[in-house]
Amino acid sequence: MAQHDDESAVSRRDFFKSVGVGGLATGVLAATEAAPQAAPGAVGPGAVPVRLTINGRPYNLHIEPRVTLLDAVRDHALLTGNKRVCDRGTCGACTMIVDGHTVYACSTLAIETVGKKIRTVDGLAKDGQLHKVQEAFCDRDAMMCGFCTPGFVMATVALLEKFPSPTPTQIRHELNGNVCRCGTFNRVLEAAHQAAGVQHG
Amino acid sequence: MANETTQQPPAANPNEPTANAKKYAWALPPAKTAILSQRVERVDGPAKVSGTARYTYDIHRPGMLWARAVRSPHPHAKIVDIDLSAAKKAPGVRAVLAWRDPGAEVMYQGDVVAAVAADSEDHARDAARLVNVTYETLPFSVREATSMDAATPKIFPNGNTRPGQTAEAGDLAAGFKAAAHIVEATYDTQVITHVCLESHGAVCEWNGDKLTAWVSTQGVHATRQQLAGALKIPEANVRVICEYMGGGFGSKVSADAAVVIPARLALMTGTPVKLMLDRKEEHLDSGNRPSAFSKIRAGVTADGKCVAFDAQTWGTGGAGQGAQFPLPYIYQFANRKRSHLDVYINAGNQRPMRAPGHPQGCFATEVLMDELADLVKMEPIEFRLKNLPPTAPDAMWAEYYKIGAKKFGWNKRHATGDGGKGHLKKGMGVSACQWGGGGRAGNAHIDIFADGSVVVKCGTQDLGTGTRTVVGGVAADTLGIPLSMVKAEIGDTLLPFAGVSGGSTATAGITPAIRIAAGRAKDAFLARVGAATGIDPAKLTIANGRVQGGGKSLSWKAACKHLGQEPISIDNAWEPGLSSVNTSGVQFAEVTVDTDTGIVKVDRVLAIQDCGLVINKLLAESQVYGGVISSINFALFEDRILDRRTGQMVNPNMEHYLLASMQDIPPVEVMLMNMPERGVIGIGEPPTVPTASAIANAVRNATGVTIRSLPLHPHRVLAALEAHKAGRNA
Repeated sequence: MAQHDDESAVSRRDFFKSVGVGGLATGVLAATEAAPQAAPGAVGPGAVPVRLTINGRPYNLHIEPRVTLLDAVRDHALLTGNKRVCDRGTCGACTMIVDGHTVYACSTLAIETVGKKIRTVDGLAKDGQLHKVQEAFCDRDAMMCGFCTPGFVMATVALLEKFPSPTPTQIRHELNGNVCRCGTFNRVLEAAHQAAGVQHG
Repeated sequence: MANETTQQPPAANPNEPTANAKKYAWALPPAKTAILSQRVERVDGPAKVSGTARYTYDIHRPGMLWARAVRSPHPHAKIVDIDLSAAKKAPGVRAVLAWRDPGAEVMYQGDVVAAVAADSEDHARDAARLVNVTYETLPFSVREATSMDAATPKIFPNGNTRPGQTAEAGDLAAGFKAAAHIVEATYDTQVITHVCLESHGAVCEWNGDKLTAWVSTQGVHATRQQLAGALKIPEANVRVICEYMGGGFGSKVSADAAVVIPARLALMTGTPVKLMLDRKEEHLDSGNRPSAFSKIRAGVTADGKCVAFDAQTWGTGGAGQGAQFPLPYIYQFANRKRSHLDVYINAGNQRPMRAPGHPQGCFATEVLMDELADLVKMEPIEFRLKNLPPTAPDAMWAEYYKIGAKKFGWNKRHATGDGGKGHLKKGMGVSACQWGGGGRAGNAHIDIFADGSVVVKCGTQDLGTGTRTVVGGVAADTLGIPLSMVKAEIGDTLLPFAGVSGGSTATAGITPAIRIAAGRAKDAFLARVGAATGIDPAKLTIANGRVQGGGKSLSWKAACKHLGQEPISIDNAWEPGLSSVNTSGVQFAEVTVDTDTGIVKVDRVLAIQDCGLVINKLLAESQVYGGVISSINFALFEDRILDRRTGQMVNPNMEHYLLASMQDIPPVEVMLMNMPERGVIGIGEPPTVPTASAIANAVRNATGVTIRSLPLHPHRVLAALEAHKAGRNA
């Protein structure tokens, strides 16, 4: 006679949701479990106004503090380019660039990114013109099902912003945080080299 | 009556090329093609790299609710009671349903029990936790050996195991008598899960008695049929859409609970409902590749002829599915016997996974082949050549081994175990593969309009192989116009029927229909243009988007103007003569084994693969890269680990369920062997079969130690090295 407790263990995501909110909130419990703590500066657990700057545009969202950056962008700002896959900061399909650094948006709280510059794959092409990284991915067929592709594209963009003329080792290292199941790695490497303008040996 | 008289009489031979197939036969070399067999970029590449490609996961409908399944935490239990009351009162909840009834048994961790729909995904998760299910736990087994043990109580209604048929050929006793050497060993491969990056799921929306379902599926038409059956509504009332899908690998060929639940919740609430499984649910309840154990006794003559093969095999496909695999694989043993046992355990059921059965049978056979070769002191390729079936267009292994040996530098391979003095040992291995492929289920419709636009419609779907590009490419190449001028529509049951994208059958199933429809459309088009311009249609040709002949040269657009109000509109079904079955390939791998850490690193791979006519070289190469990398994962990383005390999956995520990332990827050289005279066959499955075996043989070559078990995790490699050392010292 066991109660259904499939998810009783605290997952990493729940952990982030409850404690990983920096100085903005303390003691935010699961919504079903009860009353918010009246700690100073606490927000939630109900929805609160959150203003995000995504791809240069302001978005005024009304979301619970536990909402991740990925869910805020996908389900509230309706920019669905970046994907949720592992949901635990492992696979990189959700990779966005926040203030110049790549983040796993599935494991970053939206309220932590208030006031920061959030860039997603949706905003990469300008005036219908693909970014050189996107073009290289098309040229080299660096995609199959395409579900990991937005994360790989963003990771490659961040790589080239960090190292405009990367070494092959730097390319491999910077793209090591993304997983593809179809097996596009070899061609992602080719595309990264092409976009960087360096020879792929 | 009228219909009956227009029916073609059935052909005496169902594979006999039809008149259409002969008339619109593929262009063979030296004829030049603009698109076919060329490296053509996929037409939906820009949509995929810019995030505008809309997957099921990306569908948002007005007022849409989120669903969440409630799943069994137990590997085996009887449901005593399901209390939905607390969940119904939870914030944002709009509907709760019991998927199973009290008294029913759940057979594995993750078996669905109930489901909820709420106004946000987080609210749905919260509410799912409040569904209070009372279970009476029951005995369980999550090990093949436990289920096979006579002392284990009966867990499954029809018994814990199910014997398969015994296959026999030749005279086994005589075979062993003729053998100079015998190997007796057990080989095994692990259960792995599909890990589709886009999880299983659907968005369902009712409009009166009609249902529209966006489903991440490898078969929109098959899903429609199954969904209608599950809901007991007419198939005609269901529309299934899958514009893009984030991987399937065989696991998305049926309308499972992840599709039926949102349909039912949408009906209950009168609101669109979305259900997408999370990563843990994906591992637990959306398919896997069965395990495979092979206890083999094999004999070889002194001059290297395989003469005897006696095998007992078993494996588990979960809580009710079989675990068959081909054995021996490819190589000929004149005298053989093989019996098989399907074993049930309390774990999620298997589903077809990229080349079902083949990687398992290939592993046991190919490792055995290297062991036998060493016993008769023959070089492994020479030994294989001696035991292959006769070379044929669908059995090209001997040829490919020779080509590959030269290309790979096989002559530099050292003798088994002679990997040098340091702790980094290098080695090489080979392996072969085969796959049927082919396909017969595809219909196509083509319209050419007076404004010059062209659309080709086919109710297939794109797993990620590039099917949309294949559909448009075959039509454009046949018509003689650039691919950019053809719109390819796929992934919708409003389009003409096509079969599932599985078993490497999609391309061979649809391209004959598209080729013939486009050929007939071109003829009809030229007849109309000829009639309008007074030029003999026989003198008109189309190339590079221009219509030429009779002293005239018209742009495509100008020529299309002659169509007036009535477009050219042609339908065609699959016909025999433009596609075929059976492919062959071989692969070479070189590895470095660190004997201090047990870590195996793949240094390079060469993959030689045929697939009949190569429709698009760029896409076909990608399939081979993908197959090789999947097989590296199978060899070195993936393993579904179940805890024998609790029956829980230990690694239902992507950080402990290991998959290769960039640092693990070797250079891969792909040699596509184009055989246009054979027609279209398919290439998704075969390249994922042999890499793991080639790696295992390379590890054996490097270390001199035979490891008959996958995955080659460092601890297993170290243990094998230690055992070998101890054995030698003893």
